[in-house]
Amino acid sequence: MCNVHAKLVAWLDGELPGNEAAHVAHHVERCEECRRHVARYKQVGEAFSAYCDAVMDAKTQRRVLRWVPALGIAAVAAGLLFLVFPRTPVAPPPVLAPRIAAAPVTEPIRVPAQIARDAVARDGARKRRVAAPPAYNEAVKWQRAESAVQIAIPADSMFAPGAVPKGMNFIAELTIAPDGSVTQVRLRQ
Amino acid sequence: MSDDSVPLALPLPRLAVGTSEVTALYRELRKPLLRYLVCLGLTTDEAQDVVQDAFLNLQRHLASNGARENVRGWLFRVAHNQARNRQTSYHRRFGEPLDGQMDFLADEATPEQRVLEKEKFRRLAAAIRMLAECERECLLLRAGGLRYREIGEVLGIATSTVGDTVERAIKKLAEKCDV
Repeated sequence: MCNVHAKLVAWLDGELPGNEAAHVAHHVERCEECRRHVARYKQVGEAFSAYCDAVMDAKTQRRVLRWVPALGIAAVAAGLLFLVFPRTPVAPPPVLAPRIAAAPVTEPIRVPAQIARDAVARDGARKRRVAAPPAYNEAVKWQRAESAVQIAIPADSMFAPGAVPKGMNFIAELTIAPDGSVTQVRLRQ
Repeated sequence: MSDDSVPLALPLPRLAVGTSEVTALYRELRKPLLRYLVCLGLTTDEAQDVVQDAFLNLQRHLASNGARENVRGWLFRVAHNQARNRQTSYHRRFGEPLDGQMDFLADEATPEQRVLEKEKFRRLAAAIRMLAECERECLLLRAGGLRYREIGEVLGIATSTVGDTVERAIKKLAEKCDV
């Protein structure tokens, strides 16, 4: 083994003083065995550094992966909630549809004439017995309700004495706001 | 303003200079420091805490006109000592094989390359476990880019001892694993 063998790593790391480094460099140029050692030490140093990076990456990745199950469970829970409690559908405004529904189209059934006549008779009798449902008028729903409260106020308390001829009556229609205040007064005879 | 007013002696300019210097050092040394601490056996969270504390200490050190020579070695020493203080989690996990955690290998690597790479790391991990604690720490600091003198300051040993230790450790690894 060469006498510079103990200094090869330090020389590789650039830690030797100038003259000593030059001596080792000169020797390594000529010595194949030392060149092989230098290459090997360099390779080991690089592998060690790569291993450090791998450890660092593995631990960082494990840290990220720790959150993956939690996030997955949260996503599944959100999906289930969406399925179990779907959004409440918004009812469309009422549309006045024609009251006569289209009868389903079916293949006519051929029955004997007598049976058909009896069936028609039974059906007519049943129709007569069953009262037709009252027709529902949508417009009625939106009619103004009659005033529920009627208050009689003497004319003398509203007008000056003698201002209203005797025998004449007025009806006052008051429009009352939600807060109780009067928004409109209309007098009619 | 009256003539007898006293100028405020706030250390703001000095602090500002120190801050920019610390910011530059943080960009340069954060990753090597983290890697060193994680390889020592700290968890990623612990390592990040230690790095943050180390840079805060550096900020105070520079703001109080502390020595500016070998700031890199100073930072590693502070981080090393803080890692030592966390004895509960300082388990020397660096030599643990990375089996089952090798998904970080390049995706473009073929299955054969991945197997070879895993095998290489497994052998290296086994060899690292055989090293003495001081040898392992010297190699870690060397991999972090520190000079022998800086490594000596971090570990509190002579520079010549660092040289001997690094050489011995490298030769052991070269003998025990064929990488």
